[in-house]
Amino acid sequence: MDPAMGMGLVALMGAAATVAGCSEDLESDIGSQSNPNSQVQLAAQVGYPHRIFNKAISGEPPSNAMYCAVGAGVAMVLMSESVMSASPLIAIAIGAFVAALLNGVFSTTSYLGRNASQTRFNQYVYLDVLRNQILSIMGHAYIATFCIVLISYVMWNQNLIGHPFPFPVIALIWGLCVGAIGSSTGDVHYGAEREFQDFKFGSGLNAADSGNITRFAEAGVRSSMDNAWFCSKFGGPATGIAFGMVVFLDNWRSTAFTEVLNGWGAVIAGLLIVLLLVVYNRKIETYARKKYGPFPEYAGDIEA
Amino acid sequence: MSAGGPGGEAASVETANQVDAKGIGIGLVGIYIAAIAADADIPYLIFLAGIGAVFATKMGADAVRRVCSYGIGTGVPSIGMLALGMGLISAMFGLAFGAMIGVSYVGPIVGLVLAIAIGFVVGTLANKIIKLNIPVMERCLMEIAGAGVLVLTGLSVMIAGSMDFVVISEKVITTGYIAPVFILGALGILHPFNASLGPDETQDRTMVHALSCGAIAMMIGGVCSIAVIDPVAGIISTVIGLAIWYVTFMGFVKLVKRDAGAGWVGTGLLPPGAM
Repeated sequence: MDPAMGMGLVALMGAAATVAGCSEDLESDIGSQSNPNSQVQLAAQVGYPHRIFNKAISGEPPSNAMYCAVGAGVAMVLMSESVMSASPLIAIAIGAFVAALLNGVFSTTSYLGRNASQTRFNQYVYLDVLRNQILSIMGHAYIATFCIVLISYVMWNQNLIGHPFPFPVIALIWGLCVGAIGSSTGDVHYGAEREFQDFKFGSGLNAADSGNITRFAEAGVRSSMDNAWFCSKFGGPATGIAFGMVVFLDNWRSTAFTEVLNGWGAVIAGLLIVLLLVVYNRKIETYARKKYGPFPEYAGDIEA
Repeated sequence: MSAGGPGGEAASVETANQVDAKGIGIGLVGIYIAAIAADADIPYLIFLAGIGAVFATKMGADAVRRVCSYGIGTGVPSIGMLALGMGLISAMFGLAFGAMIGVSYVGPIVGLVLAIAIGFVVGTLANKIIKLNIPVMERCLMEIAGAGVLVLTGLSVMIAGSMDFVVISEKVITTGYIAPVFILGALGILHPFNASLGPDETQDRTMVHALSCGAIAMMIGGVCSIAVIDPVAGIISTVIGLAIWYVTFMGFVKLVKRDAGAGWVGTGLLPPGAM
């Protein structure tokens, strides 16, 4: 392939991945999936019934893998010559739409099911909570699935990158990847930062504070939309950048250095990137600890 | 369970033996009728393999429910993945074994037996070596692995329209349709209990939910089979899957209403004393 065309594709995939990551994280934040989920789930049991959309469609990686695999599977059916040879863009759009519908069904059942299983703790099933958030969740899931299925199509298409794996399997793997990154990057912003933002650095986390995550927002009782607003300022974009960098750097090194040293160039470049990121992360961590810590009353370790 | 109530044996209306008998019975019968009919050039009965997979999903979900009631909270998704992991290996081995000896019809049964054996080994390891000490562990893992095999075989047969390993590997695995089948099968087994986690979970609600998740897998399998085998047969499977999904989903909502009682509200403030 023409190097300029290859770099263009890599840039396109990186951009799509950034959008996908951001959207995936906001989708899971509105539904309180992953990191904050157990806190929301436990809230009613520690005396805090709530009006937060609480969905748990397994962990984020499997649920996103499902949307993406289904989206790619449906797109592939539509594109196949025996059905209607649809244009890839339309096929991917319809596939992502079907995936978003599945997302809606699974989210609804988990909201209804989990709240009905907490009846003895005075947890209600609020239908307006369901109606208000579900379309927003599905909308974000649509954007994320569309972008990831698009990335997978570009990787799979024999005239573009030509990856040997089948289309739905590539989508499944990228779905797992975006779910894992959303779960470990963006959701921490909701699960930890949103709940503990008024706690002093290093003061430790008390389990009894768990239910607080469902309490007060900037105005009134916290709702899932407040969480989306909060997370769209940092958690979502951070996830987008993280996933975009994974897709971009991985494809960039394999496109740019494939012909260096008989293919080993790409491997060495990958190792260098990982090494650089490890050093950079360590620097940030020690900087933050020095700058904001330790907790003011900390007077050394106490012997047990 | 980590989120809700003390661990212990789950209260059941339908016994494990009844659920297993229906799951294995309907699962195998559905798969065999579908495959035999397809070999006799009647692809329109292929949806029966999907119905078998739906009941196998229910069997897996019930096993997840029983084993996870002993305090496995975040392990619920993992156990669903484990099910389909064991199931995929066993299903493919069974079908490949059938192709090897030239009798493709032994495939699902060989796969099922192997899965039950793997499930027993994994369950024993978890109980005896890792010392989880859950009394139903071995049995539940055997059921989960068996459900995984039946779900994967059922949906693969439905998509490929044959029980022949060569046809399945060409039409389901090489094309990649195995990816949605795998993940929807796993979610069908793990999601019903995971979505109902809590002390007021009831068996009938979780089981209706399992049927509806199985029907979703059947529906998407039907869509995939439109491109692979006869379009009419694929559409029949999709429509029947959709019908089963609609009926079971409405049933699920009805049971949620029953279990939530006065807590089923259109809108409202938090309950008195909650602030």
